[in-house]
Amino acid sequence: MESSQFIRIISVSLVILFLVFLVWWLQTDPTAGLDVSMEGADNRGAGVEAQEVEIGEYFKEFSTGYTELSEIWPRFRGLDFDNISKSPTKLIDDFGSTGPKILWTKDLGEGHSGAAIYKGLVYILDYDEEKRADLLRCYSLIDGKEMWVRGYGLNVKRNHGMSRTIPAITDDYILTMGPMCHVMCLDRETGELIWGLDVAGEYESEVPLWYTGQCPLIDGDQAIIASGGKSLMVAIDCETGEKVWETPNPEGWKMSHSSVIPFTFGGRKMYVYSAIGALAGVAADGDDAGKILWHTPVWNHSVVAPSPVCMPDGKIFMTAGYGAGAMMAQLSENNGQFSVEVLSKYPPRDGLACEQQTPLFWNGHLFGIVPKDGGPNRNQLVCVHPDDPQKMVWTSGTENRFGLGPYFMADGKLFILKDDGTLFIARPSTERYIELDQVKVIEDGHDAWAPFAIANGYLIMRDSKTLVCIDLNV
Amino acid sequence: MEDNSRSKNRREFIQSGMRLSLALALGSVSGLALSKVVKDEYVWQIDPFECTQCGRCATECVMTPSAVKCVHAYDLCGYCDLCGGYFKPDANQLSTAAENQLCPTAAIERRFIEEPYFEYIINEDLCIGCAKCVEGCTAFGNGSLHLQIIHDICLNCNECAIARVCPSNAIKRVKAENSYLIKGDFSKEQES
Repeated sequence: MESSQFIRIISVSLVILFLVFLVWWLQTDPTAGLDVSMEGADNRGAGVEAQEVEIGEYFKEFSTGYTELSEIWPRFRGLDFDNISKSPTKLIDDFGSTGPKILWTKDLGEGHSGAAIYKGLVYILDYDEEKRADLLRCYSLIDGKEMWVRGYGLNVKRNHGMSRTIPAITDDYILTMGPMCHVMCLDRETGELIWGLDVAGEYESEVPLWYTGQCPLIDGDQAIIASGGKSLMVAIDCETGEKVWETPNPEGWKMSHSSVIPFTFGGRKMYVYSAIGALAGVAADGDDAGKILWHTPVWNHSVVAPSPVCMPDGKIFMTAGYGAGAMMAQLSENNGQFSVEVLSKYPPRDGLACEQQTPLFWNGHLFGIVPKDGGPNRNQLVCVHPDDPQKMVWTSGTENRFGLGPYFMADGKLFILKDDGTLFIARPSTERYIELDQVKVIEDGHDAWAPFAIANGYLIMRDSKTLVCIDLNV
Repeated sequence: MEDNSRSKNRREFIQSGMRLSLALALGSVSGLALSKVVKDEYVWQIDPFECTQCGRCATECVMTPSAVKCVHAYDLCGYCDLCGGYFKPDANQLSTAAENQLCPTAAIERRFIEEPYFEYIINEDLCIGCAKCVEGCTAFGNGSLHLQIIHDICLNCNECAIARVCPSNAIKRVKAENSYLIKGDFSKEQES
């Protein structure tokens, strides 16, 4: 065979081989053996069917006599929505050698609902696991004597606790919101039912994951509820139960665990609410009551528990857990028109952020406990200035880490509760963390997350199953 | 008579020999088993309370994929719909669609049990030990997902390549008889 013929055969063979390889390469799908992860592989159910609930059906009175006191802590974050007690009552600096003066304790259903206090009476919405019912319990503050309960049967499954909210109390009314968004309005003195509302049923809203944490609001004689679903927010006359106004919700924003915070800025009173979908301000009065005055969709996270912190200069601080971090926004008013500008938005490791509790605004600074995904500052109490919430003024240090529990101020002292039921007293400062004392209040405490309530020097706190009243009076 | 006696002795000798061999064999096996139990053999394991989910277990192990896998302490799990170990933060939907999953290899199977509970099962063959799920579960959940060195995969190197770079010194030698440090069975208090 001649060499040119040999070369030709080799060349043709190589071309054929190349073409065969090319066809094989084009035909082969390297991902053929992989399964595509598609929606629905978990066989998620169709959701629970709505339960027939007769709100307020159950009532039982145990006692009528109690010691009436002067002070109140009438709702979530107290009278001024700032979580700072203005009471002149002098409180202890430390627990001394005898430890905390625990006046009484009560076993509760697993949950994180907090108490409100009104002139010697403590109100807490409990989920009774035996009766399978949401029960508003009324206790005497001084001695823990149970006065009465009012509630309704409801099946709630354990899901990181069941109860989560704090009642709102005025001289005339009590307003509660249960885990499945059942609102109950009662006469404060007698506990008589005035009206009830199934928010999830009436407004076709979604009950937030792990049940709602929204604490209802009474403003004047109106109940203010952020419903999500067909309406964003609704105002209801407490006396009649009639709707006063409803805020349209064309974007379909959903209910979060956050609570509605009243705020007056630029000559307008408004309700600031962090829905799942946006942070918004709703007109609280005037002809356009219920209208959305401003909103920002920049703040849109799937789980939001803390409430907005509104500052006098129009700054609004929002934070949330599950990786959301925080946002500082600036509200502006011009000829009655409101606009909001996002000043900063950052992940939890880059500044002040909180997972469950709402930060404190005190002495021109913000205080909060950084969540577990907050990097080196995780679980530390930190202080920042609102002009730059990403720059730490101070942190409590690696040796002083806390959890998801509450913190508030009373008598110029900062009280912090750790998840395990350890209560800390610190001196509020914009310079450094100053711890005064600490004590384990609840042995084997677990998930002590409910906000504090205090009146006349009596502190109400709880872990997931035990309610405790401590006398902090000097 | 003499023949009979000799034959009997031979039989007895063989029987005795067999008994002795059997006793020796049983003794050897028992001795070996006993030595396995009492001998101070050590293996590498991760202390889940020290682990900081840095991700190096996936890349530093001499095995490919890593001998480190995620394990699930079911009695600590909250069976949540929104699981921080399964979903990316701020996932669009709480669904099994790939874009919502945190695990890069889809090694966690999510199964609906009943409202509002979901079960999460680790597919060990797919898990690469990257700890992304562990980080999510630790930050937002009960910390039921955690990493462990799986001993039928681990070569038990004299110098563990991961232990050498572990930033929190979470990988330590433990006795072979207690070769797993599973959360729930093992607690920080017990160790200290």
